[in-house]
Amino acid sequence: MSTSGLAYTGGVGFALWRRSLLELARVRGGLLPTTLAPLIFLLGSLGQFGRLDQLVGFPTTSYIAWLVPLSCLQAAGFAGGATGANLARDIEAGWFDRLLSSPAPRPLLILGPVMAAVTRCLVPVTVILAAGLVLGPGLTGGLFGIAMLYLAAVSFSIVASLWGITLALRARSQQVGPLIQNGVFVAVFLSTAYTPLPFLKGWLAVAAPYNPVTYVLQMGRQATVSGIEPSWAHTWPGLLALAGMVALFGLLALRQLRRVDR
Amino acid sequence: MSTVALERDVATQGRVIVALTERALRVQMRRAQFLLPSFLLPLLLLAVIASGTSAAQQLPGFPSTGSYVGFVVSGTIMQGTLLAGLMAGIAIASDIEGGFFDRLLSAPVNRASIVLGRVLGTAVIGIAQAVLFLSVALAFGADFPGGIVGVALAILLAALSASAAAGLGAAIALRTGSLSLMQNLFPFVFVLLFIAPAFFPRELLSPVLETISVVNPLSYVVEGMRGALFDSSALGSVALGFAAAAGSVLLTCALAVWAMRARVRS
Repeated sequence: MSTSGLAYTGGVGFALWRRSLLELARVRGGLLPTTLAPLIFLLGSLGQFGRLDQLVGFPTTSYIAWLVPLSCLQAAGFAGGATGANLARDIEAGWFDRLLSSPAPRPLLILGPVMAAVTRCLVPVTVILAAGLVLGPGLTGGLFGIAMLYLAAVSFSIVASLWGITLALRARSQQVGPLIQNGVFVAVFLSTAYTPLPFLKGWLAVAAPYNPVTYVLQMGRQATVSGIEPSWAHTWPGLLALAGMVALFGLLALRQLRRVDR
Repeated sequence: MSTVALERDVATQGRVIVALTERALRVQMRRAQFLLPSFLLPLLLLAVIASGTSAAQQLPGFPSTGSYVGFVVSGTIMQGTLLAGLMAGIAIASDIEGGFFDRLLSAPVNRASIVLGRVLGTAVIGIAQAVLFLSVALAFGADFPGGIVGVALAILLAALSASAAAGLGAAIALRTGSLSLMQNLFPFVFVLLFIAPAFFPRELLSPVLETISVVNPLSYVVEGMRGALFDSSALGSVALGFAAAAGSVLLTCALAVWAMRARVRS
């Protein structure tokens, strides 16, 4: 691609990213639901299940240290899913048809909302991490751990965004919103959400090792869980899982976009 | 008013309440996308909590109830009834925004009957939820020593709890008339749920939550359900559960009627 072609592509991508973010300025409290719901879950789960850290063999003596990365991932997933719901609204309003009639490179129509998801997720993730730090857990994983937590959350917001975009392009209706968010909810909680693998029982003990989110959580938990020390062994499964999910949902979103375009 | 006229008026209002209850249920069934989450989300959380936190039974102080899923299912029922109450509020807000509510107000029916119709419809949904959740728990190994009587009492508590939640949902919807506000109240269902011993015994909650749970009527309802299902006063007082549930119904329905009158005046 020529320099002018690259500049044009970059300009379109930037404009679409900026448009997705402008909504936050227009809709007051637009980030509130994606921040508040995971925060309530964090505090509620801590209050209900906080004594689980007393179990013999639990990898940390602070249950909130176990929960904070979960809530960060949940918030990132909701922020990502919200961009899919917004795209569904754009499709219903006819705005997306106008984009399709423009000569903009097609992948950019997806990249704009995905970049917006990445930016949007940083706010709730930081708020939840800060709340968690105030309530107790130290950052046992140091800078590397924090970097892995943010990388896990940001990448998961991309996955959730691609999932949301795929469903929005398929349904072409805002009614798909709850399905997008429920998908994120299921993916996050059918994992080691509340306890580590050895403590899971029944069908969840069978399902959780096959859920890629289990490994993304392990990657993020290097930041706060003392029993999961920062290491390559705790990182590469999460990276692999994220790469696989981004590739899978990216392909699905592009395929759905091509269908809509035709 | 003569006795005959009074009897006729009561009969008329009874028919109005039944008709509005039937309509509430029909509308909820038609809008399955609104109703389904109140059945599916609690089941999903039950599955996750029952499998993900069952190691809690090893904690000192955790009551010996045999099956963990049997212990936590009361919290699931509570979650279902709270969601059903929220859906009732959403349906009322939808009626207000859609104009149907104004048509109801212009009809010669008692204002309280309009609220009661919606509350009774939600109570029926609460019963359906409780039957489903208890059946699932039984299928996954729960054992309820309280027998049929215990199960029946728990279902009755669920109906009262759903009525109270519907009263609260109706009060907020009638006061605000905003559909989007009602939809944004979803996270607060979890606040109400988590400040009660929904999934863990009260003694094992965090100290702050344990203190707050004392003033939350849902604490006594969920413990009453456990007391009935396990026929154990150590797990909760059934009488206290019914008192808390009935009190909540009266309070929230009174709030809803008051909000209705305020809406009519404005």
